Amino acid sequence: MKNSSAFPAKPDFAITILSQTQLLKMVVELTRHIATLAQFPLREAQRISLAIDEAVTNVIKHSYGNRQGREIVLEYFLAEAGLRIRVLYSGLAPDISDEEVNIGRMIKTKRKGGLGVKLMKTIMDSVAYSTQAGLNVCEMIKWRTPK
Amino acid sequence: MKSFQIRSKMVDGVAVLYLKGHLDAHQVGRFEKELLRLIRESNFNILINGQELNYITSAGMGIIMGYIDEVREKGGDIKLCALNERVHETFDLVGFTEIYDFSADEQAAIEKFKRLSRQA
Repeated sequence: MKNSSAFPAKPDFAITILSQTQLLKMVVELTRHIATLAQFPLREAQRISLAIDEAVTNVIKHSYGNRQGREIVLEYFLAEAGLRIRVLYSGLAPDISDEEVNIGRMIKTKRKGGLGVKLMKTIMDSVAYSTQAGLNVCEMIKWRTPK
Repeated sequence: MKSFQIRSKMVDGVAVLYLKGHLDAHQVGRFEKELLRLIRESNFNILINGQELNYITSAGMGIIMGYIDEVREKGGDIKLCALNERVHETFDLVGFTEIYDFSADEQAAIEKFKRLSRQA
């Protein structure tokens, strides 16, 4: 069953961090560790942690405008089928386009935004943004490939 | 110890930037400052040596993307070399390996710059 119902209703692990870029490395290491606990091979766990780095960086830069001290909640849901991660935050809702990122055009227009989302969407099996009860939510799922 | 270190030196007329460690949004300002310094000093043949770089995010890749057009318009290029498999894969995930020039080692990349200079 490849949808959110494959995961527990409550997160197996949750952490609240402040919107500071110096915490990104900790988020990467934590996510890699949790992905490894969820039985992902190290290489896959490293990719997943990169996707979460990009998601949290987007929140700090765009939703919070690089303001420090705002809260970001990370929730991790582990299941045999895979790993679901939710990033919850207030601030500005993201302006995420479904349009395919065109790298050549980005170079010409010197527009850097969109690279992080491109990475997230390439690495994860699903990336969805929504607003729930006044909070912005970025939900990402990576399914485990059966051995 | 800092998680990201950067230094540069001139090698056969090419400005080589040596990146070491973990390059994320927190560290990217130092990378941009050094790259911009080289460009402002009219160094348009720039080589990024990532032999000791073990992590990069879109923040670092975006800096290269932001300046490569300016450098190419002035007859130069920003090339990359000696990336480990993980960092190379990150560039590949966003399609950069198709539009930027990657070499296995510094010497091979320097030779490419020499050929570029001879053609100019």
